[in-house]
Amino acid sequence: MGHFIDAFKAFASVAKSFLRPPTTVQFPDVIRPRAERYRASFALLHEENGDEACIGCLQCERICPSKVISIKGPAKRDSPITGKKRSYADDFTLDLTACIFCELCVQVCPTDAIVMTREQETPSYSREELVLTMTKLYANEKNKTRAWGDGTKLMEMQAIPKPPVPLSPTGERAGGEGKAAVPAPAPGPAAPAPAAAAAAPEAKADSPLTPTLSPAGEREKLP
Amino acid sequence: MTQKPSHRVDPHLVIEKYDPEAELMLMHFGPQHPSTHGVFRMDLFLDGEIIVKAVPHCGYLHRAVEKLCEKLAYVQITPIVDKNDYVAPMTNEQSLVMIFEAMLKLEVPRRARWIRTIFAELQRIASHLLWLGTFSLDLGGALGGGTTVFMYCFRERELILDLFEEVTGARFHYNTHTIGGNRHDLPKGWSQKVLAAMDTIAQRIPEYEAMTTQNRIFQQRTRGVGVLDGELALELGITGPILRASGIDHDLRRDAPFHAYDEVKVNVKTAEGGDCLARAEVRVEEMKESVRLVREMVGAVPEGPINSGKPVKLPVQTKIPVGQTYVGIETPRGELGGWLVADGTQFPYRLKIRPPSLHAVSALPYLLPGQTVSDAIAILGSLDPIMGEVDR
Ligand code: SF4
Ligand code: SF4
Repeated sequence: MGHFIDAFKAFASVAKSFLRPPTTVQFPDVIRPRAERYRASFALLHEENGDEACIGCLQCERICPSKVISIKGPAKRDSPITGKKRSYADDFTLDLTACIFCELCVQVCPTDAIVMTREQETPSYSREELVLTMTKLYANEKNKTRAWGDGTKLMEMQAIPKPPVPLSPTGERAGGEGKAAVPAPAPGPAAPAPAAAAAAPEAKADSPLTPTLSPAGEREKLP
Repeated sequence: MTQKPSHRVDPHLVIEKYDPEAELMLMHFGPQHPSTHGVFRMDLFLDGEIIVKAVPHCGYLHRAVEKLCEKLAYVQITPIVDKNDYVAPMTNEQSLVMIFEAMLKLEVPRRARWIRTIFAELQRIASHLLWLGTFSLDLGGALGGGTTVFMYCFRERELILDLFEEVTGARFHYNTHTIGGNRHDLPKGWSQKVLAAMDTIAQRIPEYEAMTTQNRIFQQRTRGVGVLDGELALELGITGPILRASGIDHDLRRDAPFHAYDEVKVNVKTAEGGDCLARAEVRVEEMKESVRLVREMVGAVPEGPINSGKPVKLPVQTKIPVGQTYVGIETPRGELGGWLVADGTQFPYRLKIRPPSLHAVSALPYLLPGQTVSDAIAILGSLDPIMGEVDR
C-alpha cells in the first residue's frame, strides 16, 4: 500500500512539472539570448579612425595557455590613415579548434584590439573554417555581436577602485567617465550613472549578514 | 587508523578464498558502459550474478594535466584545471589559486572571498543536482524510466549555469579566478536573479525527494547496498558527502574555514548507515543547506575591490619563491587539494592534485564483493566519481 502512496506522490511531482511551461526552446527557430559577457568567438577591432587597433605586441600570444594564437610581426609601417609610423601585426591567426575561451588574451591586450563575440553558432563543417585568420577576425567586428569585455574593462574591473568622485549638484558624477575612447561603442551595459550614484550610500551598510536584501551585493559594472 | 583491522580481508585476496570449484566469469564493466560516468573500467569476477572480486582500472581519461602544468606559467594554469572535475569547475579553480595565494602570502579581498563562497555553494547545488539526476538514471528511476528525474535536475541546474554565465561569460569553464582575487565582478541585479533561482530550486527539491529519497521503491533499491563503514572510509582517505554518510562529521568548510566560511555558520549534514541511501540523503540535505547559505550571503556581499593587485600582463610576472605547500578545500565531492613545489620561476616544479574522486573509486574493491552486478551500478553512482578528476 505504501508503495502506491509513494508512487502517487512521485506522480504528483511529475504532474506539477507537466503543468509548468516548457523550458526547452526549439533551437534554430528560437535563439536564447546570451549574457552580455558571453564568450564564444573572437573579433579584431579597428580604431575610431579606421586604422587597425592591433599593434602586434605579442602579449596575447604569450599568455595563451593553449598556444593557439600566432602572430607575424610586429612590423613598423606608415599608417595608411594617419601617415604616422606605427607597428602592425603582419598576420594574425587564432585557431578556434583548440581555444579554451579563457579570455586571457582579451584581458592582456593593451589596445583593446582583440575582443570576444557572443554569437554562439561557431560549429562548422571543416577544421579550416575554425581557424580564424586575420581577415575573418576583422570581418567578425561587423558580423558578430561583441561581448562586453575588452582589455581595459577587464583590467578596470579587477583594479582597486579609486575613492569615489564627489557628486556634482546635478547628481551626475563629476568627470571620470572611465575610458571613453573604446573603439566600438560598448553594447548595453553602460547603466545610467545617476542610478549607481543613488545606490552608493546604501552600499556602505557593512554588517556582514543583513537578512534583508540590499543592493550592497552589486556594483555597477563600469562607469 | 594506521593499522588495518585484522577482521577485514584484503579484497584482492578474496578470490583465492572463494569457492575454488566455482567457475568465475570475468566481465569487463566499462569503459563504454553508459553508467560508468565517463570512461572507467572495472574487471568484475562473477560467480553467477554475485561479484567475487572487483578490480578498478583508472587512466582512460588521463590528459597529463599535472605534467602540462609544469610547462605552463602560474597565470595560465587556472583555466586548465577547470577541466579536471568537469562537473564542478569552479571549485577546481579555487583550490588552485588558493595554493598560489598561500605561497605568495597574498591576502584576498573580503569581497572576492564572499563571491568565491557564493560561487562554491552554487556550484555545489549544480553538482549535486547533476549527481541526483544521473544516479536516478542509473537506478532506472523510481517512476517509469529514469530520465524523468534526470531531466528535471538538469532543468534546475541550467538556472545556476545561467547565473554563472551572467557573471563570468562562460557556462562551464569559467576562468573567473585569478591569483589574488576574482576576475569578474558581480553585475548589477545579479543577486535578485540568484534569489529567484534559489526560490525555484528550494521549491523543487521536495519534489525530487518525493521521487527519490523519500520514495519507498527508491529506498528499497538503495538501503543496505554498498555499506561503507566510517573506519574504512577514513583509511582510504575518503572525504566529502561519502564520509559524512558513513557517520563521520567532517567538513572543511566548518573545520578549517577557507573563503568566507568563517563568517557564516555551516550546518554539516551527516547520516548513519553508509549505504547508497545515506549518501543520497546527505547530498540532498547539502543542497538545501547550500540554498540557505546562498540566500543568506548573496544580499550581503561586502563592497570593495575584487583583486588584491593589478592583474599581470605577462606570464613571467608571477613568480613563486622556492618552497612547498599544500592547500585543501571542500568541493562537492570532498577534499580537493593541491601540493605545489615551487622553484622560484614562473613555472611550478611539481603540482600534485589530490582529487576526492580517486579516493572514492578506491573504495570499490571493498564495497563490491558480495553484491550483484545491478547493485554495482548503484554503488558506483552513489560514489559520484568524476573520471576527469580521477585520471587528470
Ligand atoms: S581565449 Fe583562446 S585564444 Fe585567448 S588566450 Fe584563451 S585559449 Fe588562447
Ligand atoms: S591583439 Fe592586442 S595583445 Fe594581441 S598582438 Fe594585437 S595588440 Fe597585442
